[in-house]
Amino acid sequence: MRTSFDEDFDVIVIGAGHAGCEAASACARMGCQTALVTISLDTIGQMSCNPAVGGIAKGHLVREIDALGGIMGRVIDRTGIQFRLLNRSRGPAVQAPRAQADRALYRTEMRHVLEFTRNLHLRQGVVTDFVIENGQVTGIQLQDTRRLRANAVVLAAGTFLNGLIHTGRSTYTAGRAGEPASIELADSLKRLGFPVGRLKTGTPPRLDGRTIDWDVFESQPADERPVPFSFLTETIEQPQVTCHIGYTNESVHKTIRDNLQESPLYSGQIKGIGPRYCPSIEDKVVKFPEKTRHQLFLEPEGYETYEVYLNGFSTSLPFELQQELVHKIPGLDQTKIIRPGYAIEYDFIDPRELTPFLQTTRVRGLFFAGQINGTTGYEEAACQGLLAGINAALYVQGREGFTLRREESYIGVLIDDLITQGVDEPYRMFTSRAENRLNLRYDTSDARLSPYGRNLGLLADSEWERFSSRRDRISKLRTALLATRFKRSSWEHAELSRLIEKDLGDSISLASLSQYPTVNPSILFDFLPASIKSYTTFSDLETTVGDLLYHGYIRTQQQNNERIRNQAEVLIPANLNFRDISGLSHEMVERLERVRPQNFGQACRISGITPGALSTLLFFLKTSKN
Amino acid sequence: MCDFSFEVQAAGTIVALSTPPGRSGIGVIRISGERALDFTRSLVRDPDFSPEPNRVTLKPIFDPDTLEVVDRAVVTFFKSPHSYTGDDVVELSCHGSPPLLLNILDVLLNLGARTADPGEFTMRAVANGRLNLTQAEAVRDLIEAQTHAAVRQAARQLGGELSKRLQPIKDVLLEIIVPLESSLEFVEDDLPEDIARNIEDNLFALSARIDEMADSFRRGRLLKDGLRVALVGRPNVGKSSLFNGLLSSDRAIVTEIPGTTRDTISEVINIEGIPVLIIDTAGVRPSPDKIEQLGIERTRRAIADADLIVAVLDGSLPLINEDEEIVREASSNHCVVALNKSDLESFCSNNAQRIDDNLPLVSVSAKTGKGLDALCAEIIKPFTAGYLDESSFVITNARHYDLLRRTSEALRAAQGLIQENVSEELILANLYEALRFLGEITGETTPEDILSQIFSTFCIGK
Repeated sequence: MRTSFDEDFDVIVIGAGHAGCEAASACARMGCQTALVTISLDTIGQMSCNPAVGGIAKGHLVREIDALGGIMGRVIDRTGIQFRLLNRSRGPAVQAPRAQADRALYRTEMRHVLEFTRNLHLRQGVVTDFVIENGQVTGIQLQDTRRLRANAVVLAAGTFLNGLIHTGRSTYTAGRAGEPASIELADSLKRLGFPVGRLKTGTPPRLDGRTIDWDVFESQPADERPVPFSFLTETIEQPQVTCHIGYTNESVHKTIRDNLQESPLYSGQIKGIGPRYCPSIEDKVVKFPEKTRHQLFLEPEGYETYEVYLNGFSTSLPFELQQELVHKIPGLDQTKIIRPGYAIEYDFIDPRELTPFLQTTRVRGLFFAGQINGTTGYEEAACQGLLAGINAALYVQGREGFTLRREESYIGVLIDDLITQGVDEPYRMFTSRAENRLNLRYDTSDARLSPYGRNLGLLADSEWERFSSRRDRISKLRTALLATRFKRSSWEHAELSRLIEKDLGDSISLASLSQYPTVNPSILFDFLPASIKSYTTFSDLETTVGDLLYHGYIRTQQQNNERIRNQAEVLIPANLNFRDISGLSHEMVERLERVRPQNFGQACRISGITPGALSTLLFFLKTSKN
Repeated sequence: MCDFSFEVQAAGTIVALSTPPGRSGIGVIRISGERALDFTRSLVRDPDFSPEPNRVTLKPIFDPDTLEVVDRAVVTFFKSPHSYTGDDVVELSCHGSPPLLLNILDVLLNLGARTADPGEFTMRAVANGRLNLTQAEAVRDLIEAQTHAAVRQAARQLGGELSKRLQPIKDVLLEIIVPLESSLEFVEDDLPEDIARNIEDNLFALSARIDEMADSFRRGRLLKDGLRVALVGRPNVGKSSLFNGLLSSDRAIVTEIPGTTRDTISEVINIEGIPVLIIDTAGVRPSPDKIEQLGIERTRRAIADADLIVAVLDGSLPLINEDEEIVREASSNHCVVALNKSDLESFCSNNAQRIDDNLPLVSVSAKTGKGLDALCAEIIKPFTAGYLDESSFVITNARHYDLLRRTSEALRAAQGLIQENVSEELILANLYEALRFLGEITGETTPEDILSQIFSTFCIGK
């Protein structure tokens, strides 16, 4: 075997999906010569499932990626074709942006962004093995005999590791429909001793839009005022399209029930565990027999294509049956399937192998990000890619690793959950996973995370200036809302009383006014003092009102956090041998050793650990301090 | 490599006398840890001694210096992990002579055992996963329990009864949280109308149930801490004979309270399972005598600290102003009037007609014991109204009481927000707070638990 390398880099990123793109972009912008190696240069940033970004909790993640200086938000802002802010009727903490993407434009724009990133080098090839010297990764081996050198490698292989696609009884190996799986790389990970598990996910059929009777469906238009993902985007310029909503029916359900033996999910052919929150239509029908219909979304794949994504109808039934089922839905009775839906099984590595920096404990310099860690979703993948990329760069630069705390970000929640609890189904983000979701609003991710992005070198001067000026406007606005009061004698008081049909008392401040559930920011905006109004944006106002709304809760939460943190932050020395702690059972020692928590808080979240073991551990840690 | 070279306090084999100090029928020495059996073998001078776990064996105990048999003890071996602490445990039931027990403990310490810190056996049980914190707290209460009723109560908690009782409450709370959370996480799924309507009713019922449980704390505290009852009255009205009468009528004297002041005597008696500390006070009267004044001062303090005052009057004599003054002062607290000396011919219950009709009044004879049961019943009455059913569960721990109270407060806050039509995430913030307080007793509910319930209840996902 050759020992020389064809090319030298600081960092190599394997896989150009949503995790790989963020990782490579971050490394390169942090000054590292970075190679991004992909099986196909034509599918960079491919949306292999539904062509959409964001949603509740996922939209939060994209906002956090953006605040740190990641690229996903910027790309979707330029390629989104239908923007909607979800949960608009609810409080700002649980609102989140979502956008349909033009799948092809997204790919093109992502590749364009990467190609114009300094220090970033795209390479096409199939990676078959790692080069490792004394437990430290030093490069990778490609199928075509090329060898690339780097002291840090980020593996973002998505569903490609031993990928196996099922449609009915037929199966074939593939990373995504139409692309080869990575078999050799999966074998090499197994050889290195990584604990490998199997997960499953699926997609619905894609339909020919020319054969759909659109009038039958309820239309779901875009927001009139699209809310962008990136703090750098002023407005969304591109034209917005409409999605459509429909339903399955009993006839569809009956056919599915009658043909369950044809589904690899129910015939025992599929071994991997699928996500409960993204069930196949087979699962929905079997698990909720009392439901007479299930909702479907007809989502356009782009401006220039008639391909339509049938969201809500993920299936791995045989093609003929998929076509028959589609025809049973009113409005789709003539509709042709362009690509059948399929289920894909793939390898993932138990993420409890990872440090909080997403580095493996088995091989120094090797980082894992995205679906390989057991997550699902572009956004979940992208945020791991960003963090893995940042840490790979810091690693080769000999700097201290970077992590985010649970109480300051969804990204912190996600990584902490992964490395302490592992996964037993594809992991998706939910707002309820965050203990402090009132404090993790989509519109405050800049305040929470941009200072980190700046320190890491991921936010340019102009971007930082934008950030500072927004924070500055918000702080002035807050002062103004608290200080501006209207007396009963004023015309504003009269006008506002009339508008919200309430007695406002002798005098009321804009701040207290903003807390009425019936007062929306657009009413408030009209009553801002002229001096403030001239430079305040609508989004500034919404954020400021949100801050006021949750102020009391957040203060209580922060007090709780401090109390918990006092214990949670009791550090567990990296060289502590859990076997030395008397009173810990063998099983508890094993669980602790697998996760190697860095502090007591992480130990508390290890799945299966008993309260008894925790008190023994805490007791040990506290007594050992003295 | 490890810089923790100190000795972990939790290690080693620990030993302690686990029956109360003092002369008694039997004294139990408990040894817990890896070397428990080793030490026992030395103590009984039988290197092959391998007792069957959980069975008792009678063995001679030797003094290692003189090689004399000092006692014959019942030895019980509990093998790890099936022991109270989870370690190997040996219990030696010896004769309850303090010098003998101290001698045996000395021998064990010389062999290399360590004296257990207070609560260390329980601490080990928690550390070894034998007990959860609720159970550990119950054990502490069990040790401190003074009467049979309290013992029963503590024993029930030991079985995780409190957790079990709270589980259905927690389940209802989850039934409220799950649809609310689901409607936030998955906008496309609107809250089913019947569920939305029920949420408010459920919340109301829930906080009422929790309040009821929290209220039982009063009785719980009563069982654990007991009552302080002061007997007050003029000199020679028969306080001391009443005191003695109460004691002898009660055959279950539990302990003599040490450290009582020289001039107020107190004893614990058991009234229907409640430990009642009866304090006999110095008679209250104006006196130039310095010492007597001090005694009277103590009496006043006893009155101030008491949960209930028994104002003792001499029923064989007409009342005088001082009597009335005493009753008046006592009636600012819970108070029972005892009209003593009903055995005398001159006794006349009309003598009490100048006493406020609203005060409970009992005619007693300290001498014959007549009326003492009625007096006892009146003493506990104000504290037990509605709570004396021993089968009902009560909260005995102040921490649990506090947590339940806070749970209830959080639920009420959530109700208030629902009425104001506030957005779900704020309602949920309060509901999660309630769940967290409950979780401090029953164990944590993780976001995963809630998500699991959402997925099994609602058909989620596109």
